[in-house]
Amino acid sequence: MKGRVAGNSSSTEEKGSIISGIVAFFTSARTTIVLLFLLAAGSILGTIVPQTHEIGPVTSFSSRLIVILDLNNVYRSWWFSLLLVLLSFNLLGCLMERLPAIPGEWKGRSRRSTFSFKLADTRSPAKLMEILLPKLSGFMNREPERSGKGDEFVWIKDRIYLLGFPLIHIAIIVILLGGVIGLFFGYRGHVLIKEGSSAQQFSLNSGETKPLPFAISVSAFSLTRYPSGEPKEFRSDIKILENGEEVRSGSILVNHPLTYKGISLFQSDYRVVDVKEVRLTVTGQDSSKTDLLLRPQSSQQIPGTDYEARLLSLDPGTTQRGVGVDLAVNKKGEDPRSLRVYKKTGPVQLGEVQLGFADYTPLYATGLQVGYDPGTLVVWIGCGLLIIGFFLTLFTNFRRITVTFAKEETRTAIRVSCRSRSMRREFRKSVEEIIRETLQSRSAQTKMQ
Amino acid sequence: MKSIDLITYVTFGYLACSVLYLIAQVSGSQTKTIKGWLLGALILVFALHTGAIGLRWIESYQMGIGHAPLSNLYESLVFFAWCIALALIIARFKFGMDLLVLLGLPLVTLVLASTSLMDPSIKPLIPALQSNWLIAHVITCFLGYAGFAVSFVAAILLLMARESDFFARHLPRRQTLDEIVYRSILAGFPMLTIGIITGAAWADYAWGSYWQWDPKETWSLITWLVYSAFLHARLTRGWTGRKTALLSIIGFGAVLFTYFGVNYLPGLHSYF
Repeated sequence: MKGRVAGNSSSTEEKGSIISGIVAFFTSARTTIVLLFLLAAGSILGTIVPQTHEIGPVTSFSSRLIVILDLNNVYRSWWFSLLLVLLSFNLLGCLMERLPAIPGEWKGRSRRSTFSFKLADTRSPAKLMEILLPKLSGFMNREPERSGKGDEFVWIKDRIYLLGFPLIHIAIIVILLGGVIGLFFGYRGHVLIKEGSSAQQFSLNSGETKPLPFAISVSAFSLTRYPSGEPKEFRSDIKILENGEEVRSGSILVNHPLTYKGISLFQSDYRVVDVKEVRLTVTGQDSSKTDLLLRPQSSQQIPGTDYEARLLSLDPGTTQRGVGVDLAVNKKGEDPRSLRVYKKTGPVQLGEVQLGFADYTPLYATGLQVGYDPGTLVVWIGCGLLIIGFFLTLFTNFRRITVTFAKEETRTAIRVSCRSRSMRREFRKSVEEIIRETLQSRSAQTKMQ
Repeated sequence: MKSIDLITYVTFGYLACSVLYLIAQVSGSQTKTIKGWLLGALILVFALHTGAIGLRWIESYQMGIGHAPLSNLYESLVFFAWCIALALIIARFKFGMDLLVLLGLPLVTLVLASTSLMDPSIKPLIPALQSNWLIAHVITCFLGYAGFAVSFVAAILLLMARESDFFARHLPRRQTLDEIVYRSILAGFPMLTIGIITGAAWADYAWGSYWQWDPKETWSLITWLVYSAFLHARLTRGWTGRKTALLSIIGFGAVLFTYFGVNYLPGLHSYF
């Protein structure tokens, strides 16, 4: 099975041979197979070579190769894009070549068959039609269609199967088209917003900032955990503001984005940026315990003393020392001094009381992904077509029986041609049996060839 | 009984079935009835396997963190083995070939045995997995993988039959094997396609992008491309026998890498 190969033209051929060579290249399934393998190989490269945007010093041969072939960004490289474009044209070529045959198949005019045979009978065509047609109609569960050419009868079952092939291949083109739309008109970025504040712009993945057509105001972020300590839920409560007015409010969770004006906001990450409140336990001489709540930028009287405390900084506990705070304490007539209260080292004596670290409420900044992709809908349409196409190809059983009666000198020639997608052997057996039984039971002159 | 213990018994059940199948195969004559009994035993083990998955589902609800048992490597391996066993049983009835079961069962046993290396505890669902897409995505992907596994086994048998006359005498006809290699992929391919589509839909919903070239995504695409090349080669270029069998083996290699190998690369699927 040697296929046509592109660029095969020799000088003796006509000028058109180059064009026909190109046409042959794009309509060949061999091209498809080669392209599929090349795309697979390219994709493998992309998972092996780290895909980063930073390029180190270009010195060695391998690093030069990485730069020329965009190996650090394979999926957006010129050659990978070229392969996808070639695949699209190849798909179009194959569709163009095969689509014209489908109407003929649909109407039963096609001669393509999985099996065919001829019979001869001494009875007249009219007589044979009278006895054979009802049997085949019963078997195919439908009346035959009569084509224009003489005494030809066609039964077709599940003809919608014929749409499977074009649907699957159009679907792939549609999906690739959706990808291109997203590439040109869509964008993705990220924004980090502190609780209680809002943002009107975000940074694109390329690093540039881009304004949003609305403002996102974050009223709260919360992180809840399972008793075992694993995170259960990340939730950002947000409001969408347009010209300072609230137009939408809601929560964004992982697997639960919020979409406004086509722009989707997704929960992506979070950061502890500051502290909302620190709770210290004050133990008096009589062992009475009182809570002292400290907020940033405000002083607080320490119960049982004439000291005032002010929050200097919080150590969230990333080092060996663990979690703790630095405080500034002072009383009238004394210079302020700093005091370190760490959870690990225990309470600290201050005058007549002891100060112990209890806990703190962090101030979070929530990280939201901002995404806009007008191509997504196109991609989903493509995926829908693909699934329908597979369904038609796999779960319908196209079957066609074409019977032609032709009057010859003393006898009638019967030509039977059939096509079936699956269960071919069984189909053949049934058709042969029906015809043999119908004809042989009344006359011995019919023979199978 | 807990589902974890049940899975251990099921593993030994499959092992026993493979050994008995092997004995029945090599002992030659008069094995039709024995193999019939063995098939019954296999279906029984498979039923237990199904029960164990169901039990684990119930256990998670009893713990108050109810979710489908498809949420970590242990659970996905148990389900992977279940899918392969299902595909083997279906293929056994469709093609009437005991050898397929004989060669496929060690694969099932191996996959299940490897779960003893994993943490089998039932954990609550992390936020990223709290989605209804999880079930549709995992089930379609794994049914696809199971089809490819059957094709792989048939491809190995086909190559053995081609390479040596000794095997050829004891193996089913090459055309039958070739048909199984092809038909299993024909069944698995749409499943993988739907698996990739549901994965993309989920990714779009959860991360805002249907495709991010994450290693797992990329490798599932590579698998898809290889099997797609297989189907085109077979349907339009008339490739059969050794060439398509090799493609089936390469494809299954890609499946295994998608499933296991990618876990060693950083990416969004790191919890699987």
